[in-house]
Amino acid sequence: MSQESQDMQTTADHIKKSDVRTTVAVTPRKAPADTPADEACECAVIRSENFCLYYGSKTGVKNITMDIYPCSVTAIIGPSGCGKSTFLRSINRMNDLIPHVRTEGRLEVDGHHIYDKRTNLVNLRQQVGMVFQKPNPFPKSIFDNVAYGPRLQGIRRKDELQHIVEQSLRGGALWEEVKDDLNKSALALSGGQQQRLCIARALATRPRVLLMDEPCSALDPIATAKIEDLMGQLQGTYTIVIVTHNMQQAARVSERAAFFCLGELIEYDYTSRIFSNPKKKETEDYVTGRFG
Amino acid sequence: MNLKIRGKLDQVFTAATGLSVVLLMLILVAILGPMLYRGGNAVFFQGTVEFRKMQRDLFRRADDTTLNAEIARTEEFRRQVYAMIDEFKKGVDVEALSDEVRELHRRFGEELRAKDVPSEQYSQLRGLTRDIRDNLETAFTKRDVGEIRPLVEAALQHAENPAFKGTSAEQFFRIARSFLATAEKVDLNHQREYAAALRDVEGILFHTQDLPGLLGPRPDEPQPLLVMLRYGTTRWDQARRLLDRFFWVEEWVEGNPGQPLVMRRTARAELFPESFRPLFSYVRDNAEKMLEPRFTAYWQFFLDDNVNSHYFGGVGPEILGTLFITVVGMLFVIPLGVVSAAYLVECAPDGQVIRIIRMCINTLAGVPSIVFGLFGLAFFVLFLFPLLGFEPKPCILAASMTLAVLTLPVMIRASEEAIRAVPRSYREGSLALGSSRFHTFVSVTLPAALPGILTGVILSLSRIAGETAPILFTGAVSMGDVPRSVFDPTRTLSYGSYDMAVGDRLAMMVPHNQYGMVVTLVLLILILNTVAIVLRTRVFKKLRGQ
Repeated sequence: MSQESQDMQTTADHIKKSDVRTTVAVTPRKAPADTPADEACECAVIRSENFCLYYGSKTGVKNITMDIYPCSVTAIIGPSGCGKSTFLRSINRMNDLIPHVRTEGRLEVDGHHIYDKRTNLVNLRQQVGMVFQKPNPFPKSIFDNVAYGPRLQGIRRKDELQHIVEQSLRGGALWEEVKDDLNKSALALSGGQQQRLCIARALATRPRVLLMDEPCSALDPIATAKIEDLMGQLQGTYTIVIVTHNMQQAARVSERAAFFCLGELIEYDYTSRIFSNPKKKETEDYVTGRFG
Repeated sequence: MNLKIRGKLDQVFTAATGLSVVLLMLILVAILGPMLYRGGNAVFFQGTVEFRKMQRDLFRRADDTTLNAEIARTEEFRRQVYAMIDEFKKGVDVEALSDEVRELHRRFGEELRAKDVPSEQYSQLRGLTRDIRDNLETAFTKRDVGEIRPLVEAALQHAENPAFKGTSAEQFFRIARSFLATAEKVDLNHQREYAAALRDVEGILFHTQDLPGLLGPRPDEPQPLLVMLRYGTTRWDQARRLLDRFFWVEEWVEGNPGQPLVMRRTARAELFPESFRPLFSYVRDNAEKMLEPRFTAYWQFFLDDNVNSHYFGGVGPEILGTLFITVVGMLFVIPLGVVSAAYLVECAPDGQVIRIIRMCINTLAGVPSIVFGLFGLAFFVLFLFPLLGFEPKPCILAASMTLAVLTLPVMIRASEEAIRAVPRSYREGSLALGSSRFHTFVSVTLPAALPGILTGVILSLSRIAGETAPILFTGAVSMGDVPRSVFDPTRTLSYGSYDMAVGDRLAMMVPHNQYGMVVTLVLLILILNTVAIVLRTRVFKKLRGQ
């Protein structure tokens, strides 16, 4: 018990520190350089070096080397089964749930190799929030859904929780719609609202990074537009990595884009360049619709 | 054409499903209807004055003035029966008569000694009564009125002796006169048969050694030790059955050789001489006046703890015991079942071991319940209890544990399905927020699986409350006190109805109580299930956000 509470305490400290860092990180953006690699390495939140992941004997992704930069939206695009979701889920080690998974290479978040044995999974996942393809609110009240993460961090005080829930729901652009019935079941919300609730829930642990796995694929265009707006608002504060099938969406929301194919990173550049002036043939084929 | 056939087939399908539902309902009504009706008999019936007496004596439920008036009225009519039997008995039950005169002789001697009469007068009077006694005893052994009369008259010639005035010796002459009167009317050659037949009649009217009778014990007889023998029949339907036995003798006789035995009914009155037959017509005409049946709603049937509840009715301790065993059993089943299911779904790696475990669970579900009963006796009662320092005797704890083992497979399978049915996205969502696997299970998976788990609870609840065989050796008794702790054995509804079904002649007299118990059990399970179903619906609605 004491061990646990201590953990909780360190977690909370950690969050505070990361908050500070986040605010420091909100600096005016650098002008686009020639290539992303030209930027200073210290800036990257997530660094992947020759990262490979295997499901048993099958290859999920191999030799991914890319840096993901803070306070921007990075899109991962590619045909089905190309490993983009696998890579995304590797960043907060959600692939651990699948048996016989093996990794090679390095994957760093904030300079820590996350596949190290000493990695604290709880801390990692609170640092790196995730939003799933299908909205998955828990069958609890809206309040309890959002308060789930903070409670895990050991926050018990009612007023503090209330404050966090309100901030997170505002962050998720849902506050105005649900502020009067926070005790209603989350499952009574519409699909779009549910997805924004899931984003708010992920924000409640105050993460640095937000991973989004095709967050709009189950939603109608209006709800999609709302989520995209939200991403626009969030990108100043959070590092967002989004996997999407919808290339217009990638073009609309992301600053940089990575094109994956058959488990490999083919091209990684500013989104505008990927779509207007890709360097690789495969990328061009894909974004122009000749392939995939 | 093809389309037409398809349409027809659809109609046939709809009709077949509808029909099967209707059939199911009919079967349900066919089973539950008669049972409810007969079980209802335990609560609603024509109660006799004996029932009201019993209620007053055992539960102090009576309006004394009306009841006393009733008792007085019925006694009035009963007295005639007592008198007729007494008179007939004087003639036929010679052994009783001999005992009586011998007793009289002895008592007379005591009286004389108490009066301090001089010794020669004492021996003279003792000699006289000895003669009288001997004469009468000899007369009792004779069959022929011609032989009896001189002997009785020899005794009667002392009737005017002033020394006998006001002493017990006077009784000699009363007995002598009534015996002579009977002997003149009745053929004493059939004395023995009459005596036997009279004993049957008395058994039916009053009581035998172990069975209650129609009217209950006579007021002048000492109160029987068994409580149930202290009252006559408490119900009019039971009285009617007894009256039938009173009027008719049933015998199984061989009809044709090789054929099954047939029942022959003969009128009991024919076993007796003409002079005694008025008793039968008297009872026929006045049975209702002797018992005063009145419509009774015996609601306390569900609460009462009668000393002989199987006879008088009253299933309070049975209900309590059933609830007790069920609750304690569920305390074992629910945690064990849910934890095992959680292990099978969440923790266990897929493989040979899990397949074997699952096969074992499925096999366990198919084992006959009596096997569990013997297992419970051997393992819990005889092995585990001494090991833990408890007294190795059947008790609620052992019964509940045995029942828990019995229903564990059902619970595990239901919970497993429920936990497996929780979308993986819930789990992922929780884990992605930094929750541990245990915390995810407790705070997200388990609440989402609750409706399914409650289904398992409903299934095992009904099973636990209704099973008989597993508690046969591990904790059920047919009589006994209300349990005070889990280390006491208890009565239960299921075991009670079983016990009555295999019971003796007494049980055959009270089928309504057996049905009453069964219906109570069904109602109890229905109520428990309704509570669980309402709970499940509420949980489900809450989860769905309605």
